[in-house]
Amino acid sequence: MTDHRWTPSDSELSDALRKHYTAPSDPGYWSALEARILAHVARGAHVERWWSALVEMARPALAAAVILVLVAGAAVISAGPPSVTTAARASSVADGDATLDYMLSH
Amino acid sequence: MRAPIDGAPTERAIVIAAQHGSDEAFSALVRLHQRRAYSVVRAIVLSHEDAEDAVQEGFLHAHRALDRFRPDQPFGAWLYRIMANAALDLVRRRKVRDADELPDNIAIPFRDPAESGELRERLTEALRHLTDRQRAVIVLHDVEGFTHGEIGRTLGIPEGTARSDLHHARATLRRLLQIIRSTP
Repeated sequence: MTDHRWTPSDSELSDALRKHYTAPSDPGYWSALEARILAHVARGAHVERWWSALVEMARPALAAAVILVLVAGAAVISAGPPSVTTAARASSVADGDATLDYMLSH
Repeated sequence: MRAPIDGAPTERAIVIAAQHGSDEAFSALVRLHQRRAYSVVRAIVLSHEDAEDAVQEGFLHAHRALDRFRPDQPFGAWLYRIMANAALDLVRRRKVRDADELPDNIAIPFRDPAESGELRERLTEALRHLTDRQRAVIVLHDVEGFTHGEIGRTLGIPEGTARSDLHHARATLRRLLQIIRSTP
């Protein structure tokens, strides 16, 4: 018994690859594929248009929401500090009265 | 590219019409390029079904990017680059989904390699052992007849890398397809 090592030559390898990767030759196949490609592209374009329209619609709504948040924030800021000041003033007046009472009583 | 004879529009004119929104022109581009586009993606993916998916996805990407294409450039080269990227994306997604481990050795019982079916079967398995890029390079070169430069432009790699990938792919396939046969 003798062992022989068989290795494909470059040309044998290329031939095998060509056979393996042979593209379909039926013209009907290519017509069908073309139709599927165009349908896929049309669906993709439709989704893209729908998405763009949604973004267009969402943009003013988003701007309005930002303005609303800013106005609300400004309202809270402008309303917040006076009540704190008033409370502080009331507190300081009360503290001052207590001090005066203490000084008069001693 | 179609020759500007008998009033037939040149590919450049078709591309410009497609850029202006003509569906008919885009259909003409699909008709002109789908076979080569199929061959490019088939070189990268592992099955005919994946090649069809990649071609459809590639043409969708091309349609979306058509505005950015400069008509003074070769349309085919631009399109096949998009196709190659679509195919590589699909292969990546499939890998994440399948996450299959390939066996270390291809254990196929020996028969005479002269039987082309046997060699093809072994080849199918051996091709799985190449990297995606090596497989694409050897198929584009040996099957589609692309030059190293064309392969480089299509796959977005330097020409020297294409040469090196081709060398390694060929060596790997020859090693994996090697058979030891005993004769009395």
